[in-house]
Parts: sequence; C-alpha cells; structure tokens
Amino acid sequence: MIVASSKPFPEIKQMLSGFKKVCVLGCGSCVTMCHTGGEKQVTELAAQLRLSAKLEGRQLEVKEDSTLRQCEWEFIDDIKEVIKDCDAVLSIACGVGVQYMAEKFPRIRIFPGVNTTFMGGPVEQGIFWERCAGCGNCILGTTGGLCPVSRCAKSLMNGPCGGSQNGKCEVSQETPCVWHQIYDQLDTQQLLATMERIVPPKDWTTGMENHPRKMVIEHLVMKKQ
Amino acid sequence: MTKTNTCATPDKKTNEEAPCILACPIRQDARDYVQLIARGRFQEAFRLVRERNPLPSACGRICTHPCETKCRRNSTEAPIAIAWLKRFLGDNFSEETRKIIKEKYPERIAVIGTGPAGLAAANDLALLGYSCTIFESNPTPGGMLRMGVPTYRLPRTAIDNDVEYIKKLGVEIKYNTTFGVDITFDSLKKDGFAAVFIGVGLPESRTLNVEGVNLDGVLKGISFLNEVNATGSARIGRNVLVIGGGAVAMDCARTALRLKPDKVSVACLESRKEMPTTDFEIEETVHEGVVLYNSVGPKRILGKNGRVSGLETLRVKYVFDEQKRFSPAFYEGSESVIEADTIILAIGQASNLSFLKGQEGIQVTRGGTIIVNPDTFSTSVHGIYAGGDVVLGRGTMTESMAQGKKTAIAIHNTLRNTALKDEKWAEKPAVPDIVPSRLSLIKKESKQEMPTMPLDERLKTFDEVELGFPLNIAVKEAQRCMNCGAGALVDDNLCVGCLTCVRICPFEVPKIKKGDTTAYIDGDCQSCGLCIVECPAKAISFKTPLEDRGKDALEAVFQEKFVQGVKPFIINFYCQYSAYREEKEGAADDLLFFHFRRIGVLGLGKVDPSLYLRAFELGAHGVLITACKDDTCHFCTEKEWVERRAQYTTQLLNGLGMDTRRFQTHFVSSQNGKEILEIAFRMVEELRNRV
Ligand code: SF4
Ligand code: SF4
Ligand code: SF4
Ligand code: SF4
Repeated sequence: MIVASSKPFPEIKQMLSGFKKVCVLGCGSCVTMCHTGGEKQVTELAAQLRLSAKLEGRQLEVKEDSTLRQCEWEFIDDIKEVIKDCDAVLSIACGVGVQYMAEKFPRIRIFPGVNTTFMGGPVEQGIFWERCAGCGNCILGTTGGLCPVSRCAKSLMNGPCGGSQNGKCEVSQETPCVWHQIYDQLDTQQLLATMERIVPPKDWTTGMENHPRKMVIEHLVMKKQ
Repeated sequence: MTKTNTCATPDKKTNEEAPCILACPIRQDARDYVQLIARGRFQEAFRLVRERNPLPSACGRICTHPCETKCRRNSTEAPIAIAWLKRFLGDNFSEETRKIIKEKYPERIAVIGTGPAGLAAANDLALLGYSCTIFESNPTPGGMLRMGVPTYRLPRTAIDNDVEYIKKLGVEIKYNTTFGVDITFDSLKKDGFAAVFIGVGLPESRTLNVEGVNLDGVLKGISFLNEVNATGSARIGRNVLVIGGGAVAMDCARTALRLKPDKVSVACLESRKEMPTTDFEIEETVHEGVVLYNSVGPKRILGKNGRVSGLETLRVKYVFDEQKRFSPAFYEGSESVIEADTIILAIGQASNLSFLKGQEGIQVTRGGTIIVNPDTFSTSVHGIYAGGDVVLGRGTMTESMAQGKKTAIAIHNTLRNTALKDEKWAEKPAVPDIVPSRLSLIKKESKQEMPTMPLDERLKTFDEVELGFPLNIAVKEAQRCMNCGAGALVDDNLCVGCLTCVRICPFEVPKIKKGDTTAYIDGDCQSCGLCIVECPAKAISFKTPLEDRGKDALEAVFQEKFVQGVKPFIINFYCQYSAYREEKEGAADDLLFFHFRRIGVLGLGKVDPSLYLRAFELGAHGVLITACKDDTCHFCTEKEWVERRAQYTTQLLNGLGMDTRRFQTHFVSSQNGKEILEIAFRMVEELRNRV
C-alpha cells in the first residue's frame, strides 16, 4: 500500500489560514489502512481544526467526508455537492488523490493533509516500513525476495557494504541491513552462490529518472468520442 | 462513504440474539435491562422491564428464570442473576402510567381470573386500547401467586404493586365473582363483552387414591398454603409430612416449618435429581431444616382413632418408563413407615371446569385442560379464549403470562381484522456458547450473593427470606453481563479489511475469513469498544442502542445553562466498572459538582480521542480522565489503551498549542472516592487562573 504520514498540525493550520469553510476529505483505501487518511482521521482532524479556531477566536466551518478512492474520477465526482460551497479542501489522500481533486475541481483550493511517504506495509500493527521503490525493473527474484533498492540506505546492488554491523545498517541502528537479511535468506534457500555474482549497474531509466511514467493497457483503452 | 460491490457472506450471523432473551417465554429484554442497570440507568431499566412484563415484582422473585439457565456466563463461572436484578428494579423503582394508549376501541373484553395469565392478557389488551374487566372469585388478586406462593417468597405487597399498575392502565377487577356461579358465558355476552379470556388456573389440589386419605390431619397443599397466607387459620400437628417433590411441596414444607412443629419432612417419588423444582428451592428447604425422603411412594396413610399417624411407603424402582412417561414402579415388600400426625398432599393441581356447563362446544382434554389453537389461544368456540395453567396443565408463571400476552394480540387481530405481530417472538438463532479458546481471555467475575435473613430469624416469621440486592450490589452483578448479541458490528460497506480490529481485540474475536474482504465480529464480542475507536474506516459500531460511548452525555452537559459561567469547568470521563457511586458524598462533592460533570462509560477503551477534543470545543476548560487501575479492569487490557490514547490526545492538543494541564489522565481505584476528589481539587486549582 501507499503509506502516508500526517502533516504536523501547525503546517496544516498555516495552509488553511484565512479560509472560513473547509472540507476535510479522506480516502478509503491505502491511507485508511495506514491510519492517516481514513474516516477516523477525518473526524479527528476536523475536531482539531474546529478546536484550534475556537481557541483563537476564528470563524471556521469544517465539513467532513470521505470517498472510496480519491484517485478515480467517478468516485470524486460524488464529492462535488459536498465541497461546492467550501473555500478549500484538505485532502488526506496520498499525492495522487490530492492531484485528482485539484484537476477535477480547479476552482477550489486543494491542500494536502498528509506527506505521501513510501510504498510499504504494517510490518507490525502500527509500524509501517518501506518495501518497494517503484524502480520499474524488479530484481526481487535474485535477492531472495528482499528489496535492496528500497530497503538499503544506499540502494546497493552488490551489498552489503562495510557499514553493515551485527545485522544493522550504519545509517541507523534501528534499520536492519537488508543485505544481511538477503544473505541469510539465500543461505536458507541454499543459494549463497548467488552472492558471489557481481550484479552489473542497474538500469535506472525505468525508475524515478524517467518522470512522469505512464502505462497503457491497449485493449482497455476506450475510443474518445 | 459508500462502497458498492460488497456482499456479506451468509455465515456472518449478525442477527443472533442473546440466549437469555430467547429462553424467556415472554421474551423479556433481559440483556438490555441488565445492561441499563450496569450503567446506572435504573428508571429506564424498569420501564423496559415493565413494557413486556406485567408482573415485574412477582416475576423477579418466583420466576424459574430459564434465562439464567441459558446465560452464557454459565461457561465462565455462573449466570447473571437476571431475575434478582428485575426484583431490584421492581422493589426500588416505579413509574407513572405512561399515556401510550393511542386508540380506544369500543369492544370490551372479559378476563376470568387474576392469575398471571389473566393479568397479562388484561394488561396487554389495555395497552392495545381495549377496556377490560377481570372477574375474580377471591376477594384479592393474584390467583395462584396469592393462594399458593408463601409470603416469605413473595410478599403480598409485591403482587399488589404489580396489580395496582395494571389497574392504572384502566383495567377493572371485580372480586368475589365466581365464573359459572355469579356470571356465565351468557351473562357476559348479554353484558356486551366481545371476547372472553379464561385464565382460571388449576384451583383443585389433586388427591391420592390410597387408603386413609380421608383421615383427620390430611390436608391439601394449596388449601393449606392459602389458609396460612390469607387467613392464618391452618392447623397442623407436631410432626408434618408433605407428599410431593415440586415447588408447591417445598412451599408447603417451608410454610409448615414457620408454624413451629417439631418436625417437617417431605416424601416424594423422585430421586433428588429428578425432583421437578429448582435446585435452589430444594437447597433452601433442606437448609431450613426439612427432612427429605426421596424415591419413596405412598402405599397407604395409617391412622389411629380417625387421625393420621403415619405414611406407609414403598421404595421406588423408577418414576418414568422408557418413553419418559410418568409411570412409577415400586419394589415389592419394601414397605416402611414415616411417622406423622399431619400429611399435606402437594402432588399437583387439577382444574375445575364446572363453568363449562352448557358450553359443550369448548373442547377439553382427558386431563381436564382446555384445548386451544396454539397460535391464537382460541378455544373451539369463537370469541372464547383460554390460557395459563388451565391450558398448560402445569406451567410456569412466565409461560402463563406469555399465553396471556399472545392471546391479547390474537383477540386484537380478530376484532380488528389485522395481522399485528410482536416481533420479539420472531425466531432467531441464539448466540452460541463462548469459543473455548477465548474462555481464558475473559475475566472471571464472581456472582453476587443475595443477602438473606439469618436462619434463626427466618423461621420465626413469614417475612421475606431474600432481602433483595442493595444498589451497589445490583450494579456490580449487572456489570458481569457480556452484552451478548449486542456487541460490535462491522459495516461491510465501510470496512476496508485493514485487520486492525483483528489484531487488537483482547478477546481475539474479529476475523477476516478466507474469501471475505471484510471483518466479522461474532457473538463472543465483550463490548470493550477498542476496535470501534481504532478502526480507521469507522466501520464498526455497537449494535446496542444503549451504548454511544459517551457522546450524548457530553452534549447533554453543555445544554445546561449553569455550566456556561463556571470557571474552570471540567469534564471527568470515568470508568463505570466497579465505580458506581451514588452521587454526592457530602460537602466536598458539592464543590466538585460545581466545577465538574462526570461522564461514565463502561470501559474507557470505547471513548474516541476526538470526543475529548469535542469537550474542549463545546467549552470545557479541562478534561480529566480517571481510569481504573489495571488489576480491577473488567476487560483486563484497558489501562494500556487509555494510556496510549492519552498520549495521543496530548499530542493533538500540543499541536494546537494548548496547555496540557487542561488534559489529565489519572489511574486510581475508582472506588477510592477520596483519591479522585484530591485529583479533582488539584486540577481545579491548577486551572483556576489559566482559563
Ligand atoms: S549497511 Fe546494509 S542497508 Fe545499510 S547501506 Fe550498507 S548495505 Fe545498505
Ligand atoms: S451474559 Fe448477559 S446477555 Fe449474555 S446471556 Fe447472560 S444475561 Fe444474557
Ligand atoms: S478495523 Fe475496521 S476497516 Fe479494519 S478490518 Fe476491522 S472493521 Fe475493517
Ligand atoms: S468491541 Fe472489543 S471485544 Fe468486541 S470485537 Fe471489538 S475489540 Fe473485540
């Protein structure tokens, strides 16, 4: 899933300052699952906004709504009625959703309430880790199913580096060294020989080097009228 | 938010009902009134009971409580004292008759007999909008409740309270009017009654077909009880023997004890296990000093000079044959004698159908009960209905009430040509027993004891033995209830399958089964509400309307004009488990009451952090959370969650730049009122100059 973290409240307040009627808009997919953009978050953020306005003696009306996915035109179409009289929308979907909203409703100011952070998952309840960098050229088949692109601080293709200590990454003691983990995994699978192969430089042009990326599924594309 | 393409899998049983409710013949809302008591909402609880039950005070004392037999707490330690809790309500609360009678219909209905069936029928007919007259041959109401149930189990004031309420609904009772003598079917018809309900019960005591039953000193059970209860005129000897193993036999024995003979014993065919009454009744009887002779049958009653001198008995081989029919067999040559100068026959009751003379159209069984249509309780003659023991043969009080209630609806449907249905009687699956692997996760909460009169005092009087729950005990007992079938429910349209509920439930209840896309919470939910708060999609809510997790109470506080001028004004959220105090404890509390409003919830784990924000938004200057210490937590894990959410809320408030002294969480034993007062005073002082 796409993982996003809540923006600090003072930043949100700053963005919305001057508006009298705003809508906090959640998204019912990835950001709900990572507890930063779902209905519950909408309620809490709206309560925070109202309270902060009250404390400062400001006038502020806050609406609350959510949609199944903000990254679909049809779903956000339903939001039109809700936000039509709002000065601004605080979208707590990932950056994709925020942009869909901005594109669909060009007359209304749309602000992001979260920082879209990475692709990953809840490794433990409440603890999310990055697991994929969207490099566009997946190599998990040769690394025992563990991604060095997203999980190695240096995105090394031939790890580990000399900073690997007791299974931890030199960059942060909190981070496991993924190359250490890859070694253990390949050992388990009796494929340690793979570690000896030198991997040639990776083709990064499929990845972030090549913005914006696009994918087309020919047979599903509908002819424009 | 709506999601379109979800479909609930058929095995998600969201309509399961608590077994306590399903077990009750009148489908009394057992769980819900227990849950209301647990929340200290007594008046509402009483109203709920009264809505379905015309005789709450009587029922709370002598009902055989099948609800408790089926209570799911049986598998953790002991059932909830559902009946005693009803008695607690009946004894301590009352209600003005509510004006809910919408329509007055012209038809008048005659009810024969003021026993449970007749009273229930009249009560419900009155509520439906009919004027009812009950005819009673005795000078007082209650039928078998008054004639047959001893006062030490059912004080007459309890019957009178219940009947008084029924009379307030407009029901008229004509006493000293015997059906078949003073009034007849024809006279009722002539008087314009549109329907007749016969609820005359079984007034005759069965007698034994053995030598010696006509000797002096042989008494009939119900007549004996009636004499003692009503007139105090019963005469017994020094050595009393009761024949019979049912509830009436136990009543006779315990009543006889109170007349202070030298010895009282009971002889019955059944073994102790087979006796047709509750264990509790037998235990109390033996406890009071009655000698029990099991598995003996009467051969003949022995006499001397025309007076009883004993009972010759035979040993019983078996009471029931292989088809489980009553068919006792005895060991030959096993005669022995139990000495007695008084014998009370309590071997069952029989009907007296002499009023049916001239009404041969009404079909009756060989056993002397009236045959009715099992759905409408109509006899074979149009317009004449019957219910209670005269139909059941031997039924319980609640079974009789159920028949009266069902007849009321049937009469209404016939007269109005409608198809009114009482949804409470709809068939529903029961919440199954607790999954064994979860038993160890549910805290054992021991059953509260009923305070009783000490043994040596009991036998001196006919006063009630069970003294009733005091308020704090009633609340404690009610708080053991697991709210079966009314716990958390997932809205399939909202659930995004995030697994949060699955992972955090302390009782491992929510599951997402293979093939499902949404979570399912089964009947083992303990209603802690943790998952409801943490679900990021707000997909979970309580099925019970009794639980709004503090929201309404909070809004209500700020409806009070008074609070607007108070500085500082603080909202105290507290856990109601083991924390019920009668409000106001002297002057200290008065000051507290000035600055504080308390909002109790059953477990703070069900309160949303956003509600704390809402309190500030509504105008509170402070929010104080007083949570139980973990050792007393009903849900075992709440402390940790309250702590985390307190931190989380503090962070939110920090983000707003709010002085965090305005939001405080303290863990105290809620029963320690003094400690809470100290905390409260400190908080008032801290905030006094800051708001
Ligand atoms: S220690 Fe491991 S994870 Fe960290 S940079 Fe080096 S190889 Fe990558
Ligand atoms: S625990 Fe409560 S709801 Fe469940 S069966 Fe017992 S009384 Fe009924
Ligand atoms: S926490 Fe809510 S959204 Fe997540 S699985 Fe449970 S019910 Fe569904
Ligand atoms: S309310 Fe509590 S007991 Fe019920 S499913 Fe949710 S977490 Fe479990």
